[in-house]
Amino acid sequence: MNLRNTPTREFDFILLLAAVALTIYGALLIYSGSLTTYGSPGQALSHPVSRQLAFAVIGLVAMVALARFDYRAFGPLSLALYVLSLAGLLFVLVVGSSAYGSRRWIPMAGTQVQPSEIAKVCTVIMLAKYFSDNQERMASLRVFLTSMVIAAVPAALVLLEPDLGSAMVFGVIWVAMVIIAGARPSHLAGMFGAVLAALPVGIWAIAHDYQKARISVWLDPNKDPLGKGFNILQAEISIGSGGWFGKGLTHGTQTQLDYLRTQTTDYVFSVGAEELGFMGAMLLLGLFALMLFRCLRVAGMSDDAFGRLIAVGVMSFILFQVFINIGVNIRLVPVTGVPLPLVSQGGSSLITILASLGILQSILGHRRRRGRAT
Amino acid sequence: MGVLTNRRRRWRSEYTEAADPRQQINRKLWVMRFAIVLAFAALVVQLARLQIVDGAQYRQRAALNQIRIEPVSPSRGLIYDRNGVPVVQNVPSFSAVAIAADIPKPREVAIAGGLQQLTGVPALETIMKIEQARQSNDPFAPVTIKDGMTADETFHLREQLAELPGVQVAVQPVRQYTGGPELSDILGYTGRVDPQDYATLKGKGYLASDYLGKAGVEAAYESYLRGLPGRQEVEKDATGRQIRVLGTQPAQPGDSLKLSIDLDLQKKVAQLLAATPNGGQAAAVVMDVHTGEVLALVSLPFYDNNVLSGKINETTLEQYLHDPNKPLVNHALAEQYAPGSIFKQITGTAALQEGVATPSTTILANGYINVPNDYDPSIVYTFRDWNTFGPLNFYGGVANSSDVYFYYLAGGYHAYGQNFNGLGIDRLVKYAGYYGIGRKTGIDIAGEADGVLPSPAWKKATFGDDWRLGDTYNMGIGQGFVAATPIQMVRITAAVANGGTLFTPRVVSEVRDAQGHIVVPNEPKIESHIPVTAANFAVMRDAMAQAVLWGSAHPAFEPDLKIAGKTGTAEFGPRHPDGSYDTHAWFSGFAPADNPQIAVTVFLLNGVGATNAAPLGAKILDYYLHRPQPQTAAAPPSGDILPGSAP
Repeated sequence: MNLRNTPTREFDFILLLAAVALTIYGALLIYSGSLTTYGSPGQALSHPVSRQLAFAVIGLVAMVALARFDYRAFGPLSLALYVLSLAGLLFVLVVGSSAYGSRRWIPMAGTQVQPSEIAKVCTVIMLAKYFSDNQERMASLRVFLTSMVIAAVPAALVLLEPDLGSAMVFGVIWVAMVIIAGARPSHLAGMFGAVLAALPVGIWAIAHDYQKARISVWLDPNKDPLGKGFNILQAEISIGSGGWFGKGLTHGTQTQLDYLRTQTTDYVFSVGAEELGFMGAMLLLGLFALMLFRCLRVAGMSDDAFGRLIAVGVMSFILFQVFINIGVNIRLVPVTGVPLPLVSQGGSSLITILASLGILQSILGHRRRRGRAT
Repeated sequence: MGVLTNRRRRWRSEYTEAADPRQQINRKLWVMRFAIVLAFAALVVQLARLQIVDGAQYRQRAALNQIRIEPVSPSRGLIYDRNGVPVVQNVPSFSAVAIAADIPKPREVAIAGGLQQLTGVPALETIMKIEQARQSNDPFAPVTIKDGMTADETFHLREQLAELPGVQVAVQPVRQYTGGPELSDILGYTGRVDPQDYATLKGKGYLASDYLGKAGVEAAYESYLRGLPGRQEVEKDATGRQIRVLGTQPAQPGDSLKLSIDLDLQKKVAQLLAATPNGGQAAAVVMDVHTGEVLALVSLPFYDNNVLSGKINETTLEQYLHDPNKPLVNHALAEQYAPGSIFKQITGTAALQEGVATPSTTILANGYINVPNDYDPSIVYTFRDWNTFGPLNFYGGVANSSDVYFYYLAGGYHAYGQNFNGLGIDRLVKYAGYYGIGRKTGIDIAGEADGVLPSPAWKKATFGDDWRLGDTYNMGIGQGFVAATPIQMVRITAAVANGGTLFTPRVVSEVRDAQGHIVVPNEPKIESHIPVTAANFAVMRDAMAQAVLWGSAHPAFEPDLKIAGKTGTAEFGPRHPDGSYDTHAWFSGFAPADNPQIAVTVFLLNGVGATNAAPLGAKILDYYLHRPQPQTAAAPPSGDILPGSAP
């Protein structure tokens, strides 16, 4: 082991390249998916691709800035950030603008900000801070439950929007981080047992009608092929018809003839699978896998528990969103509106994830001693 | 450093506990790596299943998704008169249609509202139609929202189509009849498929929005006129907008019809008939005695079939339905009347054939006969003649149209010392049957009536009463129960003229396909030969010629044309206080008398045969045989006239 007292200034270019590649991949799919609405790439700044690229630039600037910023400074700031993000979630419930029957956005500076995206990172930081402060008392039930509440409050606020998908993200973040932080297996097992027992009851009791319908249509989209089952069926047809190599970018019949709905956001993966085929989808999954493993590498190399927990938290919500979003597209999970990280159209998610990766770069670059990890 | 629980890691039991905190952390990070691999493996497996294992099936579904097979309506065959003059054309009509499956449900109300603004159709009505179509098993079938849109409405709707997904402007050819209202009763009209008939017609490839023949020739020749629908493969986007046509199996245009009707004669007959003061309900039919082709068939009053085809004019339709003269009824074939004395052609030829009478059989016709009751001779029935003639032979009997003469022939006379054997009811019924009384002629116009052929069994079944001698007398002179249509009577006269051939009348002489090939050739359709000898027919023809020359049909005399004919004045309806009845006027004759070419039957609902019907019949025969040769149209209906080509 080689000890040093100065920051390493190390920067993970592979992580950066994977993120940039995914962003470009996404921009191409957004371009293809918006052809029917916007025609050829206009000069207009309002074109979804130019907007997405502008957000990507902001996100990359934030990433580089955060990489130079010592992540440890987030420790004292964590509570403030957490409370601010909760305020944002409350605010959106009061004044947010709605789309598809839920309030998720705050109009701001000519665009719309989705506070739940920011809240994910703030909650990761808050939990990391709480766990690292209580490392010696991880066996205590009180710590276990307090950390659960930290994640449950934003989850509950997001659920009220209602946005079930994002609410589940907070749960996943907590589970991943509490495992790494070292919770007692008996606590974890008890919690899982309780959740499993409550799951069926809970879903049917608190879920809105639209979610009940979502699940029954998910099980059999042909019940309502022109209505609620339309998106599910058409996404499945889009993906399946892509075959090995796809129909070629901008040549997907499903995408270009508008059979696929929300093809730049929730169903952007279907565009890729139809036009670029199984191989294109494998490339996308490969890039995600690479990025996620590089996140875990950061966790493994981190100096301290705070950094490691942040890295795992970020990794876990990206992984979960990738799985749920693609899973919805390929009818592996019921319809849940979760964006595909870096790929789906939408500034809040893109900037938040790029910025989070900047924090991970900071963790890597501000180690005080060099060690080897996988 | 994260502090671990002091438990063994079950998945890596070979490691010793807490050797190095970093090692412990790494082990926990393996849980995360495992989670990534597991999640991605699930995604890859499902993707491979969709894209590789079932890829072909999804590709097919994607192709089916955007490709719709749409029927292409064939253009309806055209109709020409016997000289090649077109009497109908197809003109485009614009309608707003909705395809329920293409209308996004959340926008349905907005779309219906938009349609209300553009076409004036109440939004609620549109929504109900769309909802009904959604629930049907074919939500892709177009539903007509508004028919017969004006050019303005069409223009504005087309401009707004982008805002109205699922709405289309349908262009459909509709019939425009150019031959004049005189042809309405022959041609009939077309109309939309009735919803209650749609179930059966669907199997024949009709769409709910299609037109089909509803009356006349349009209905009778529907299977020829319609043609074969084609199919078109169209690529559509999710809102039903057409992207491009991928392939077309063209529709086969309908066959064109050549009418046997002579448009010029038809108009002349209509004009003559309309000019009679006895107007109202009337009919006249002219037939070629050698072929059974109908040269003219007129029923008064006319209706305008353009009013009933395509977009129906409700006001005019109401007028038609309430007119006491029933313009929508074809009086030449759809209604039956007492034929009166023109029935004597049947009684006369039957009597000659059966030997009841010879040309020289003389009967004293003193204006009436008395018949005592079989059981109570003190009760005496009197059967009147329309005049007193004295002794008459067969020619005299026919020429004067003596009722007494025909009472004898039909029923015989056995009273007051006389003993004349008549035909009797059975033989009279048999011969009336030979001539086609009481059954449809089979003319190729829909809606024909049967007429009535009475008999003892028929009377028993209908009235529960026995047949009496008086019934035979009445039938012998075309009164009483017997009833016939003008088309039945004209073919009887044609049969007398041609020596006994009973034709199935035709108004369509020939059917050709779009390439001009003959589908149905122009051949006479002979129903039967009447078992009466040529000599006996000749006697009847001679007697009918004498009727015109000097007898009761003399008003039909034309100086430069030998006409043979028989008038009829048939009593009908309730008896008036002065003992008289309303009468139908009939004339049935042919010309030239010595070399018959055409036969005509004229019927006026109210009138006297000799005064009203006979002159009309004569003028019709004279016009046809003496008019300047009708202009023949430039081209006969053949390959160079494409049916259905409309401006």
